[in-house]
Amino acid sequence: MTTETLRLLWKSRREYCFTLSGLLLASYFIVAVTAPFIAPQDPYDPLQIQAWEASSPPGTHSGSGFVYWLGTDGLGRDIVSTILYGLRISLFVSITSTLIAAFIGLTLGVSAAYFGKWVDAVIMRVVDLQLSLPTILVALIAIVTLGPGIDRIILAIVIVQWATYARLARGVALSEIGKSYMDAARLLRLPKRRVILRHLLPNSMAPAITLIPIELGHAIALEATLSFLGLGVPVDKPSLGSTVANGFQYLLTGQYWISLFPGIALFALIASINFASEDIRHRLNPRSRSHGV
Amino acid sequence: MVCDNANNSLLQVDNLTLRHRSPAGATTILKDVSLTLRRGEILGLIGESGAGKSTLGNAILGLLNPEFERVAGSILFDGMLLDDMDERQWTKIRGRRISAIFQDHTASLDPLMAIGPQLEEAILASIDETLRDEAYEVTIDLLTRVGIPDARERYHSYPHQFSGGQRQRIVIAIALAGAPDIIIADEPTSALDATVQKQILALLRELVDETGVSIILVTHDMGVVSDITDRVVVMRCGEVIEQGFTAALLDAPSREYTRSLLKAVPRLRLSDQRGAPNKAETLASSPDEHARAEVGAQASPILVVRDVTKTFSESGLGWLRKGADKVALESVSVELTRGAITGIVGESGSGKSTIGRIIAGLETANDGTLSIDDMNFDVARPGHRSGLLGQVQMIFQDPAISLNPRMTIGETLRESVRFGNAKAGDPAALIAGMLDRLQLAQPLVTRYPHQLSGGQKQRVCIARALLAGPRIIVADEPTSALDVSVQAEIVALLKECVIEQGVSMLFISHDLALVQALCSSIYIFRNGQVEDAGSSDFIFARSQNPYTRGLIEARSSRFTH
Repeated sequence: MTTETLRLLWKSRREYCFTLSGLLLASYFIVAVTAPFIAPQDPYDPLQIQAWEASSPPGTHSGSGFVYWLGTDGLGRDIVSTILYGLRISLFVSITSTLIAAFIGLTLGVSAAYFGKWVDAVIMRVVDLQLSLPTILVALIAIVTLGPGIDRIILAIVIVQWATYARLARGVALSEIGKSYMDAARLLRLPKRRVILRHLLPNSMAPAITLIPIELGHAIALEATLSFLGLGVPVDKPSLGSTVANGFQYLLTGQYWISLFPGIALFALIASINFASEDIRHRLNPRSRSHGV
Repeated sequence: MVCDNANNSLLQVDNLTLRHRSPAGATTILKDVSLTLRRGEILGLIGESGAGKSTLGNAILGLLNPEFERVAGSILFDGMLLDDMDERQWTKIRGRRISAIFQDHTASLDPLMAIGPQLEEAILASIDETLRDEAYEVTIDLLTRVGIPDARERYHSYPHQFSGGQRQRIVIAIALAGAPDIIIADEPTSALDATVQKQILALLRELVDETGVSIILVTHDMGVVSDITDRVVVMRCGEVIEQGFTAALLDAPSREYTRSLLKAVPRLRLSDQRGAPNKAETLASSPDEHARAEVGAQASPILVVRDVTKTFSESGLGWLRKGADKVALESVSVELTRGAITGIVGESGSGKSTIGRIIAGLETANDGTLSIDDMNFDVARPGHRSGLLGQVQMIFQDPAISLNPRMTIGETLRESVRFGNAKAGDPAALIAGMLDRLQLAQPLVTRYPHQLSGGQKQRVCIARALLAGPRIIVADEPTSALDVSVQAEIVALLKECVIEQGVSMLFISHDLALVQALCSSIYIFRNGQVEDAGSSDFIFARSQNPYTRGLIEARSSRFTH
């Protein structure tokens, strides 16, 4: 390769990065949806697991004829399969919680801006309180109070995340309220419902929507962290985070693959979401386009 | 273009063609633009929005974004080709030999730095480091020259402690710091009030005459051009339409477009018999205006506002509050003539918009009475509780933010018919009729606001206000965000439609000529009080109020008859 081609590659590194992360993200979703059909084994069906094949290194041939490309964990489950099934749980939990958090945050933020006075004061003080605490602490307190379970962890992530949407939506809604078309709506004495649903909400949504992919990355990481700490999803439905945690105790005995490969999968997932969301933000904002390399 | 005096030519733009690349495709922003700037002259660059005049200014400053691409042509400055310069060479030219003044004086100054050091920084950056010791004296000298009084005492003052006009003077001082050959002034007075505008323009002229600097004055305002420029370049859609000496060009424009621009400028009609009130009666007004004024005098006013006082309290908790409440309106009384247009004129901060919003019920006042026909409203209570809200419709200043961007024009108008006090009838037919009346095409109803031009949007706003069936419309600077040629159309439409529909209107503006063209009676606001009031004839011909006279005189003489 000549220096010229190298320079060209370097110049368009951003685009390659986005294309790559987009493709990766797409394949993650496809794999997660089709996991039951493409996974070599159902890692949570005890009949398919052979205990004597526990902690096999990558490349071992299984008794049932396929190859453990990434090895097996301490219970003899195929790592490839645990990753595929874990991905389903991770994505389900994070997407659900992010959408719920966005909906609640947007509604409360816009309401705070529109109604003002004590509604605004109450909502925003709760937001302030929550954003002043470390997210992991809020999540831990929530989980400890709520107890374990997939629905509880979704709720915990919603509790952590809604405040960010609320604060953003309130700011945007306030600036929209200052625009003349809102005055025009008041002059027509439109019902409150109509003002909020037809005028304010549709115009305050865009920035909150660009926040969704970013928060999705956070949600996955948060879920993985909680699961790693043993406070996340239940043992019979392990996510990527709990799979990493499973192998943690074996790391020191040299059985690196149990933790490493799910960890890499998790890392690549979050990284690709973050890159893709940056790309989306970039494309949606015409003003930032000119500063691109 | 042939340069008639090569020695005098300081800057020469030859056949410049610029393209703007975007994901949507490339658009040509400048087409084959040629012009010459001579030493010690003010060259006016005039055109409506989208004419490419600011782009040309930025090109001369080397400040174009990378997505602009020079297709052809060159810019020659004092024997140097500016196009091929890199950023390092530019830093030796920009700010030192070519500097700039922008429209927004607030954004041009660092709010956290006192103006003295700020100016000194500009001086040190552009002149020899050896002059460090003298920088303070140079700063004081410059500040004095641009007309900042007590420069020594004000050296440590911050930008927010100055008025808008003074801030623009400081920006001019910074532009002068490097003793430049050229100053590009991009709409330097558009954000200023008429009287201040006049002073700043006079200062620019003075500086040109004293220092021999050349100025390229980018503007949309024919009045500014006629006041101080030596030569004018008229631009439209990226092309130079016409250029020549200001006086000659304005007297006898050779192109239709220039003529239409000139015609669109609202003109002030003044009689010479200012001091002779007995004669003034017969002068200055056209017959129909006369008739209207008489009708207004006979009929009872539709709206009476008495002694309205409004104060804004400074934000902050009780004892943390700084200073006293700001008085926006002080016992203001206004009457609105039935079936006619009443004008309120004032500079920024005069309270003219506040009274408009109080009349519309959008804001509360501290004290006062307001009645529409025989209905009395409590101005101290929010509009929706006192019943005032919904009685009056408004037309706002900026059409870009007056329409819900997520609703089609049809949806917006239907909403107005449905929720307003409109008379019975088929909404679709009402809307179709109104669109026709306002010369808007029917297919527009399926469009969204961003697909419309500024003038179209403002017409939709007029349609929305009229369709709600109000008795009174408050129009708050409805034309000031529009291009001159569009302004004229909107004013004509307002005049016809309002009268035709039997609506009374309050027209709020900073532009005396516009108010004169539209209104039968006029209130002049100043610092939250009514400074002067009377019929249009009285205000323009007979009023002896010095403030009123000052406002009238601040208008460019060319656009006064």
